[in-house]
Amino acid sequence: MEAIKYYVKGAFVGIAETPATVEQQEELISDLTAKVADLVADGRSEEEALGMAIASMGDLSGLVKEFAAEEPAAPVAPVEPPAVFVEAYTARLRLHVVAISVGLSIGVLFVLSVLAVMGGTISSPAVAADLLLGIAGLAWIAYALRVIHAKPSAIESVELQPRARLRKPLMQWAAVCVFAVLANAITGGDFWVWTVWVAAAAWPLSFYVEQRLLSAGKFLHPKTEAENVSASVESPAVVTPSACA
Amino acid sequence: MTVETPISSDLIRGHIETIVLGLLSGQDRYGYEICKQVGILSDGEYELKEPTLYSAFRRMEAAGLISSYWGEESQGGRRKYYRIAPEGRDAYLRNLEDWKRARTLIDRLVSGESEKE
Repeated sequence: MEAIKYYVKGAFVGIAETPATVEQQEELISDLTAKVADLVADGRSEEEALGMAIASMGDLSGLVKEFAAEEPAAPVAPVEPPAVFVEAYTARLRLHVVAISVGLSIGVLFVLSVLAVMGGTISSPAVAADLLLGIAGLAWIAYALRVIHAKPSAIESVELQPRARLRKPLMQWAAVCVFAVLANAITGGDFWVWTVWVAAAAWPLSFYVEQRLLSAGKFLHPKTEAENVSASVESPAVVTPSACA
Repeated sequence: MTVETPISSDLIRGHIETIVLGLLSGQDRYGYEICKQVGILSDGEYELKEPTLYSAFRRMEAAGLISSYWGEESQGGRRKYYRIAPEGRDAYLRNLEDWKRARTLIDRLVSGESEKE
């Protein structure tokens, strides 16, 4: 009666296996088996009996929850997927990443500033801030260019895990936004906060762009792919002899 | 056997422990046996579901009213038997007294008869 075992064990999925839960499952399996046997003895078919027995058992989730509530709450660390590293031509990668993300941010900042100046809704400190931020962005691009000249074909391993890598820059961006709001409140009302928000968005954006470029297979060192392929071919070959032995 | 709408399980829920203790008073039983016995005693009018029963078992075992032990191998695996403890017998007799008093009282209250006025 494999179906009974699947049904009962399925209801306990996600609950830590303890002697108590194992015994409870054994009891439920034993009960259901006896019930099916009774129904078959009454002249039902096996399938019919199984369906009736499970239906009359009712919802197990309440009982299962009692076991979940007893679980020690300690080691429930969030499960992070294992990090994946790829070999990439980092200098070229970084230049593209910076050019795209900073270009986007400065472009948006510039368009918004022009619109604001035309509409007369921007103050002079905000224009000054925009200029400073634009210069900072250009300096960032210039730095990336210098790196590419110094080490044009440098290869580094880069972590390929968008969510974990994005979390930190997003938090930092949020911190900058909070700081900008505070600064705005202190300096007294001129609405120039958005320029900081938009400009600072280049930071998390750069991580996003980098992940997108890497996932698209750009700037990857060819060795990486060769290794990945050979690894996936090798592993079953390693398993087979031990399975035979 | 008359076919009526099944008794509301809410009316019975508060007495599950008493019912189970009563069934264990005579002999040790395993889970499915108790469900079956409840079906027979109620002429099929009340069906005790296993999750309800096992919740009650766990509560009563934690409270020391019953104990359990593994019995013989059957076709579906081992069977766990439940045995009533002395505390369980006390609780059963107490619950039974409470129920008898409550029954008389509720009978009077719900009938709405006014002969005593």
